[in-house]
Amino acid sequence: MKSSAERKYRFYVVGFYFVLFAAWQLLCALELIPDYLFPPPLHVAKRLWELGADGMLWPSIQATLLRMAIGFAIAAGIGLGIGMLMGMSRVVNRCLKSLFLGLQTLPTAAWVPISLLIFGLSDRGIYFVIIMSAVAAIAIATSDGILHIPPIFLRAGDTLGTPGYAMPYRIILPAALPGIVTGIKLGWTLGWHGAVSAELIKSSVGLGYLLYMGRELNDASHVLGIMVLTILFGLLLDRFLFGLVERRIRIRRGLERPA
Amino acid sequence: MEAPVKLRLSKVAKTFDTGTQIVEALQPVDLEVREGEFVVLFGPSGCGKTTLLNLIAGFEAPSAGEITLDGQPVGRPGSDRLMMFQEAALFPWLNVIDNVMYGLRWQPRYRFRPRRRREKAMELLKLMHLEEFTESPIHELSGGMKQRAALARALAPDPKVLLIDEPFPALDALVRAKLYTELQDILVRTRKTIVSVTHDPREATCLGDRVMVFTGRPGRVQAEISIDLPRPRDINDPQVAECAGVITAQLEGAHEK
Repeated sequence: MKSSAERKYRFYVVGFYFVLFAAWQLLCALELIPDYLFPPPLHVAKRLWELGADGMLWPSIQATLLRMAIGFAIAAGIGLGIGMLMGMSRVVNRCLKSLFLGLQTLPTAAWVPISLLIFGLSDRGIYFVIIMSAVAAIAIATSDGILHIPPIFLRAGDTLGTPGYAMPYRIILPAALPGIVTGIKLGWTLGWHGAVSAELIKSSVGLGYLLYMGRELNDASHVLGIMVLTILFGLLLDRFLFGLVERRIRIRRGLERPA
Repeated sequence: MEAPVKLRLSKVAKTFDTGTQIVEALQPVDLEVREGEFVVLFGPSGCGKTTLLNLIAGFEAPSAGEITLDGQPVGRPGSDRLMMFQEAALFPWLNVIDNVMYGLRWQPRYRFRPRRRREKAMELLKLMHLEEFTESPIHELSGGMKQRAALARALAPDPKVLLIDEPFPALDALVRAKLYTELQDILVRTRKTIVSVTHDPREATCLGDRVMVFTGRPGRVQAEISIDLPRPRDINDPQVAECAGVITAQLEGAHEK
């Protein structure tokens, strides 16, 4: 059941975007900036439609999503593994935390030059950038999630007879899950940044490549259109893939109310 | 014809090293708990009673002395000395029945026998009047229901000794009174050996066969009082209140010295 308050908010959100695009259109109509540099939203939409009709969009969306699926799966595996080690050993945590916090401050695009040097223009370089962009955030969130487990759950696990080998998957991981999911979401966002950055330079297909192509063609409508599309897909996956999983976990544990 | 000794503590003491000083949390304690007996450790906060419970459970190692269960020295925590905590500490990632079944998984009799585990858990949930909430998530239970579910979870692996740390502190008086009655009822049925901790003299008299009165800083046993009132005892019974007065007097006597 959607509450009436929820419906009201939705109304405001739709209204907000309507006003935003209307303002954009209006700003262009004033012709303060030439419209080949700052095209109105209707031009952008039209260009996007043309690109779609030419069969340019779908293969690129597919390519980027596939790279993300593979790269991110690897990153999540590595990040979870390292994060669990960090969460269970103070020594490992002390050593790796500063390194990973440092790596997290590195802009994801900064991984592109080194990946070009190592992997050349091959697709493996894109995976490399995705993985390096996402791993640190996932590892840190996982270890923090584990370190913040209320000690009482560990004690309860012990006193109920949980053998040492079963503690990680019966108690530690499930108890840390809300924190881990948040880290995975953040990792996905950073990986997405990395993927698009890498595609700008290294690829002949993908959302990043389409952005680069738009610039080469001096076509601002094309560039803005792909940007909007990239935002849309990022948002969609964040909200619907990870957002729903996160919400389900939080509702099940009574940390959040069902809408 | 007294029951055999189940749990024996001989000269068990605990000191903590805080780095700057050594704190004597518990002076040497001797205690024998017989099979089916309910012993209450009673005293003000900081008297070492919870420390003693942690030592029995195996969460901490004693600095001196020995703890044996059925003649065997106790080691790391396990479901033979199962501890119930102040908060229910139910696992929020499991529903009610999965929580109750949790400890059974590690019992040889129930290993790889999920259906048996479920039957056993259902039986206990019925005993706790929770059979309508078996599939509920934990956060939907009230405080009293959570404690009953925690009790079911603690009883499931059939511990040799059940350790209860301040059974029902966060509950209102009415719910507590009801739980005391239920707990006694379950005791009679299961003949569990129990050691519990409380700072409430009425709770101590209501539940205990024997009350060990602790005084603080450093923690030590001040007195040992047997409660010979018939069960089930009502927390509001005048006799319980009178007996509670005797116990409290022991503490006050200690302070005047």
